[in-house]
Amino acid sequence: MINYINKKKSINTGVLFVSIFILTILTTACDYEFDLPEAGSIADETPPVANFTASQSETDFLKYTFSNLSTSATTFAWDFGDGNSSAELDGENTYSAEGTYTVTLTASDALGVTSTFAEDITIVEPQAPDVPDPVLVNTDFDKLPKSSGSDCSCSAWINKSIGDQGESSSGNGGSDNVVKLDNNEPDHLYQEFEVVPNADYTIQIVTSFKSPEGGSFPSMLELRVLGGVGYTSGYTPTYYTETVDFPQDDFGYASVSQVEDPANNLLIETQSNPNDDGYITYTYTFNAGANDSVALFIRGIGGPATGGGGGDFGYNSGDEEIRVDSLTISAIN
Amino acid sequence: MKQLKYIMVLLLALGVASCEDDFLEPAPTGAVSSSTFYSNEEELESGVINMYDGIQGINDTRADSNHAIQVEFYVTEMRSDNTRTKSSEGEAAQFENFNIETTNGIVADYYRSFYNVIFRSNIVLQNLDVASDQNRGKFEGEAKFIRAYSYFNLVRLFGDLPLVDRVIKPSEIDIQFTRVPTATVYELIISDLETAVANLDNTYKNRASRAAAQTLLAKVYLTLGTNYSEAQQLLEAVMNSGFSLESNFKDVFYNELNDEIIFSIGFIPDVNDDSQNFSAEWLNAVGRTSGVNYVTTEAREALDALGGDRTQFSYRQDAIQPSQFQVAKYIPNGDDNLGIAPTSNDPTLAGNDWIVLRYADVLLMHVEAIMAGGQETSVQAALNSFQLIRNRAGLTDIVTNITKQELLDERRVELAFENHRFFDLVRFNTAQDVLSAFSDANGLGFSATDLLLPIPQIERGLSNGLLTQNPGY
Repeated sequence: MINYINKKKSINTGVLFVSIFILTILTTACDYEFDLPEAGSIADETPPVANFTASQSETDFLKYTFSNLSTSATTFAWDFGDGNSSAELDGENTYSAEGTYTVTLTASDALGVTSTFAEDITIVEPQAPDVPDPVLVNTDFDKLPKSSGSDCSCSAWINKSIGDQGESSSGNGGSDNVVKLDNNEPDHLYQEFEVVPNADYTIQIVTSFKSPEGGSFPSMLELRVLGGVGYTSGYTPTYYTETVDFPQDDFGYASVSQVEDPANNLLIETQSNPNDDGYITYTYTFNAGANDSVALFIRGIGGPATGGGGGDFGYNSGDEEIRVDSLTISAIN
Repeated sequence: MKQLKYIMVLLLALGVASCEDDFLEPAPTGAVSSSTFYSNEEELESGVINMYDGIQGINDTRADSNHAIQVEFYVTEMRSDNTRTKSSEGEAAQFENFNIETTNGIVADYYRSFYNVIFRSNIVLQNLDVASDQNRGKFEGEAKFIRAYSYFNLVRLFGDLPLVDRVIKPSEIDIQFTRVPTATVYELIISDLETAVANLDNTYKNRASRAAAQTLLAKVYLTLGTNYSEAQQLLEAVMNSGFSLESNFKDVFYNELNDEIIFSIGFIPDVNDDSQNFSAEWLNAVGRTSGVNYVTTEAREALDALGGDRTQFSYRQDAIQPSQFQVAKYIPNGDDNLGIAPTSNDPTLAGNDWIVLRYADVLLMHVEAIMAGGQETSVQAALNSFQLIRNRAGLTDIVTNITKQELLDERRVELAFENHRFFDLVRFNTAQDVLSAFSDANGLGFSATDLLLPIPQIERGLSNGLLTQNPGY
C-alpha cells in the first residue's frame, strides 16, 4: 500500500573544514621541532551520522511518526517535505494530502559538524480491498481435453485417489455441456482453488436428478468444501488455467478418510432427490477459515458402500443418475 | 635468564602433555565433572530441568546473580504505561523515566540470565545422543523451545543479537559478540519452534509442550506480521487441545496449573532454591525495594473502564499508602478482602508460578491473526473468541465488530501486569504514539530509540569493542 523509496544522502560539511585546519597545522609544524597542537585542533573523531525510520499511524494514514536513529549528534532539524519542520528529537507530522514527500533530517554536533539523511515517503490512502471472486476452471462442464485420456466434461475435476471421474453428458438444452455422476458408482468432482482466509463465499450449483426408482438406495448429491489445511503433508497447490494441465491423481486430498475428517470440512451439504428432473439452482455459503486454499468435492452418495459399478472407495451413488450443469463461486463483500 | 629458559621448557613440556587425553587421569570419582556428566538419559534429563532452573532465576538480592524471569517486569511492564516504581528511586526508576543507562544492572542481569538459559539449552542439544530413541525427540523439542523462547524475548528487547546456536568455547569471540540482524535470529526461533511443535505433546504445563510451542510460534508470526493464516491454524490447533478459560478470573492466578495455563514457570514456596521474590518486590517495602511495579493512573483508568470482573483481581489499593496502587495478581502473602490465601510463610520466598502463556492470550491472538494486519474484523470466528474473553469478565453485550484499538485495549486489561503490554504496543505499531503521549503527560523522557534496551556496558567492555550499541545510548 505504502511505497518507501529510500534515498540516502550523507553530507559532512564539517569534515572538510576540520581537514583543512589539520593540514594547516601540519604545514606549520615543520617550522618548530616540538610544537604541540593547539587545543581544539583534534579531528572530530565522532562526527554525527543522521538516520531515521518512518512509520505510518495506524489510525490516520496522513500522520507519520519518525524515529530518530542518529548518532553523535546533539541538535536536529526536521524538514517534512510539505513545508512543516521541527527541531524535536523525534519527528511527527500530519500531511494534508496524498503524495510523495522528501523528509530530511539534519543532525549536528556541538562542533557544528552536520550530517543529513533524507527519505521519500509516498502516502496513498489505504483501501480495504474487496475479496476477489475465486478462479475455477471448467465450471460449465464443457467437454474439454484432459492431461491423459479422452476429452471429458469432467476435465479439471478429477482426483482418482478419492473417486471415479464423472462422465460427459448432455442436458438443460445443450450437448456435451453437463457432467454426470452415474448411478451405483463412486463418481466425483474435485478441484482446488485459492481463497482469502476468513472471507465468506457463495456457491451456486445447478443440478438435476433422474426420477426416483423407488428402491432402497435413493441417490443423493453431497457437496463438501475442504480446507487446504487437510492437504497431504508438504503439498502446495498449483492453480492451473487450462484443463489439459490438471493432474488427475496423487495431489491435494489423497484419501476418502482425509475428506471425511470433520476437522477438514468447512461445509457439508446434501441434496436429496427433488422428485423433479429439471435443473434446479442451489445456493450455499461458506467461510474460508484459516485457509488460503480450499478444495470443492462433490460426489453421489446413497448407494451401498461396496459392490458398485466402479472403483472401491467405500461409497457409491444410489439408484438414480445426477447431472451437474454449472457452478459459480463468488466472494461476499 | 637461564632460569627463564628452564621455565619455558617446562611450560612447553606441560603444553605438550596437556594435549593428551590422560592429563587429568584418573577421572575424579567422588565429584561430578562437566566433561563426563552427560553419560546417560537420567543425567540428560537433569540438564533439561536445568534450563527451567535457569528461567526461574536465583532468589536473592545480589547484583551479580542471574534473576532471569524474576526481573522481567522491569524491562517490559515498567517500560510501558502500565507500571512504575512506587517512589521513583534507584536504577529501577530509569525504566519508567525512559532514561535507561548502559550501565543499568537490571538490564545486564536479564541479558546475562537469558544467554545463560540459551547456554543450558545448547548443553542439552549437544548431549542428545545419550538419550533413548524414544525420548531424544522430546528432549530436543524442549531444548529448542526454551532456546526460541529466550531468543524471542531478547530479540524484541535488544534488537540485533549475538547468535549462539551451540556450545561455544571462550575463544570463539566472534560468535559471542558479533550481532546478527533480527531476521537471522527469527530464522532460528522459527526453526526451533517448528521442531518443538513436531516433537512435543501436551504432558506438561511447567515444562515445554506442543501447545506452548504452537502459541509461541503464532506470536512470532504476528510479531513479524507474516504468515497470518499459519498463525491462525496454530492457534486453532491449541483451541482444539482441551484448554479452557477459568470461569473465575481470580483462579487463573491463585489455582496453579489450571485449565487456562499453557506454559508457566513453576515456583515452590519457602524453598530458597525454587521460590521467587518478585511478588514481594511488588509490595510496600516487603522485598528489597520500597515497592516496584506499582500501577499507573493510566492503567487504573483503563481497568476501571474496561476490566469488568477482572479489575478487582488486577490492582488494589496499597493499604499502607492509600494514594498508591499495587498489582493484585501474584500476591504472595494473601489478601482477606479478595479471598486470597498466602502462597508462602515468607513472602520473599513466594511460590506463585509465573504465567508465560495462557489460553486468554491464545483467544485474543486468534482475533489478531484473523484481523491479519487490518484495522478491524467482523469474521464470526474472531467474534466468538473475543466474546469468550468478554463473557468471562462479565461483559456479556454481544460484540459484532472488533477494531484494532479495541483488541489492544482488551489485551491491556485482560493481560495487565503479565509483561505483555510493552510487546503488544510494539507489535500493534503504536508504541511510539502511545508512549510519547504517556511520557509527555507525566514529564518523562521517552524518545523513539527507547523502544530497544541498551546493550549492557559490561558486555561491550568484555567484547573489546566488537559488540555494538543500539542508537540513542
